[in-house]
Amino acid sequence: MNQVGSVGLIAALAFAAYALVAGAVGGYLRSPRITRSAERAAWGFFLMITLAVAALEYMILTNDFHNAYVAEHSNRDLLTYYKVAALWAGQEGSLLFWTWLLSIYSALVVWQNRRKNRQLMPYVVSVLMGTGTFFSLLVFFVANPFQELAVATSTGTQAFTAPDGNGLNPLLQYHSMVIHPPMLYLGYVGMVVPFAFAMAALITRQLGDNWIRITRRWTMVPWMLLGTGILLGGNWAYAVLGWGGYWGWDPVENASLLPWLAGTAFLHSVMIQEKRGMLKVWNVALVILTFFLSIFGTFLTRSGIVSSVHAFAQSNIGPFFAVFLAIILFFSVTLLFLRLDHLKSENKLDSMVSRESGFLFNNWILLALVFAIFWGTLFPVISKAIENTTVTVGAPFFNKVAIPMGLLLLLLTGAGPLLAWRKTSFQSIRRNFTAPLIVAGAAGAVMFAEGVRNLYAWMTLFLSVFVAVCILGEFWKGAHTRMRTASENFAVALYNLTMRNTRRYGGYVVHIGIVLLFIGFAGQAFKADTKGLMQEGDLLRINNYELRLSELVSGDNPNYEYTRAIFSVTKNGEAFTSMHPEKRFYKASQQPTSYVAIHPTLSEDLYVVLAGLDPGTNKAIVQVFVNPLVMWVWIGGVVTLLGTLLALVPSRVEREMAEMRLAQEMIVQAGDAF
Amino acid sequence: MLQTIAVLIAVGMAVFIVFPLLSADTAAGPLPLDVTLLGDLKRRRLVVYDNLKDLEFEFQSGKIAREDYEALRTNYLGEAAGLMAATQEAEQLKQDDAVVEREIAARRATRKSQPKIEYKCQACGYENPLPVKFCGECGARLATPGKK
Repeated sequence: MNQVGSVGLIAALAFAAYALVAGAVGGYLRSPRITRSAERAAWGFFLMITLAVAALEYMILTNDFHNAYVAEHSNRDLLTYYKVAALWAGQEGSLLFWTWLLSIYSALVVWQNRRKNRQLMPYVVSVLMGTGTFFSLLVFFVANPFQELAVATSTGTQAFTAPDGNGLNPLLQYHSMVIHPPMLYLGYVGMVVPFAFAMAALITRQLGDNWIRITRRWTMVPWMLLGTGILLGGNWAYAVLGWGGYWGWDPVENASLLPWLAGTAFLHSVMIQEKRGMLKVWNVALVILTFFLSIFGTFLTRSGIVSSVHAFAQSNIGPFFAVFLAIILFFSVTLLFLRLDHLKSENKLDSMVSRESGFLFNNWILLALVFAIFWGTLFPVISKAIENTTVTVGAPFFNKVAIPMGLLLLLLTGAGPLLAWRKTSFQSIRRNFTAPLIVAGAAGAVMFAEGVRNLYAWMTLFLSVFVAVCILGEFWKGAHTRMRTASENFAVALYNLTMRNTRRYGGYVVHIGIVLLFIGFAGQAFKADTKGLMQEGDLLRINNYELRLSELVSGDNPNYEYTRAIFSVTKNGEAFTSMHPEKRFYKASQQPTSYVAIHPTLSEDLYVVLAGLDPGTNKAIVQVFVNPLVMWVWIGGVVTLLGTLLALVPSRVEREMAEMRLAQEMIVQAGDAF
Repeated sequence: MLQTIAVLIAVGMAVFIVFPLLSADTAAGPLPLDVTLLGDLKRRRLVVYDNLKDLEFEFQSGKIAREDYEALRTNYLGEAAGLMAATQEAEQLKQDDAVVEREIAARRATRKSQPKIEYKCQACGYENPLPVKFCGECGARLATPGKK
């Protein structure tokens, strides 16, 4: 099977390299046959990488421990779905997986555009396969998962088959870990598609909003998957790492947030180009930045240059990525400068109080946030390189910078959609903002009276109410206008309103999701924790909860040994629940890990960790957290996901546009190209 | 065995990739344009109409003050008028272009048919492919071009 995988890899590399060159030549010569051949090579790339992935998965599932990767990352007793996930548990496998996702995206792009965008496509294929060539090179020459397991003997190295594997890292043996990396990777990899179209548009000088329209969905899908991946990662950190939180400003977490923030900026600013023909240079720059940060994120995660709870790899791939990142920057920025003349705005900003300026402020803040997080993440690496001292940039720095910016963004989430395009008079502002401000003011007063004294938490909750009223007001006013003008009942009016412009109203649902996320974040200001050494019968109190350790049980299964603490919990003196945190010891990897017990409710989570047994007294070391409003983070994530899915549904306006495009394509195909 | 199958798949794929290169390009012609000028103008007009619809709806829902509504409406209408004028101009240009293209095509057709008559040798009957003074076949002097 190793040979099958290697054949797949080397053929994929050859096809990708061929498509890179053939695409560029086909585009330059405007030759349909060379272009077609390049597109077929992209198909070939997909087929051969799929073959390699299938070979590796087959070896993992059949416990083929003569493969070094399988022996390192799987074991016989590992559950089947964790075995599937072992594909992306290690360096070599995850780079192969990355390459495979790229090949899927590429094949889909080629298929979707087989009859349209014919001038862009050769260059699109070239850029996609350029990236494919880099990753194939990396997987084949630097991090090859198809190596035989070998031992050094007196006569040289000798292949051998291990009786069992080392097993999957226990921290990764958690259900959301099975889907978190694929989501995140789909997000990272997917950003290559808008980048490829942007580069093709620059090369062919087709710098209207055609490329923006083509890439809107190709950006929204990875953005959505990246966001979902980030939240699933947060959920994993919360449930597995046992420190009571879901976001620790870890470098690898930051690395995934950076392209998401840049992508958010891009998704907003493209609307200005579509509506007003402005910000053309800015949009290209944002696409370049988003793609750069995606590759940079992969680099941070996989190279191990930063110390992180998520950096499961320490390796030598860093310099290769550095070169690739430099090539991306050089190629794209040079091209951007060469085409500046073609990127002139069709309109000017009419007023500082308008939808456009709202989007602009949103972009500036997002970019400032990207810069701050980028700098904070890389600062330890830079300081080590320059002064040879490791400086840690921790959560306090990031919170100090990100919270005020986040609050400004939250404000714009509600205020932006209420501003009109071009200009908004004071009269319009008063008309739209009075009601939300009154409601938010009243809610703020109630929260203050209830004892919310933390400034940031109070502001977050105040702004959340303000934004929620703004957004719900948009639905309310829109539906009532339809009820009046189209004689529809409220439900029908609301449905028609949404379906007429799914992009806008889906976007509003996303904004509601963001509000819920912020409400969840605000809960952090009120968290409480305690710890104690406990033996059976002992009590531990936190807020209005009492936890009694009823029993300590030890047990064993083929995968791990465990010690389980059974707590009976009362709240305000009444029976509430029973909780069972565990301390596990995984046999194959010989690693201990905690299994956290969480009792989630809408208002707060009770979070219990059994950190271990005290060696001196043999008492249980227990840590308990009360985490208010965490559930709203997950709910907010789901609402954001649903809102994005809604925005992806073609709206009536779009269908009209699509019909027109189709007619235009038919004209083009009929040779009436003007 | 499996390795051989993998190699065969790769070779099959390579043939599939190279195959389009063996066909002639001429049948398909150069890559067609992604966006035509007229199509782009029409689409931009549709965007302005959509903006107008939105504006109307927002005014009716009470989101926009009358003063803003009227100013914005005038702006959008102006933009739409500009785009319509540009479309008409492009259509006119396209018609003119079509006339020129027809003219060129007609002239080319006449030019193509002429050499056969013009450069046919009166002595041996050979049809010289290029404008020449002497016949490429028998060397006889040809009649002055233009005269049959």
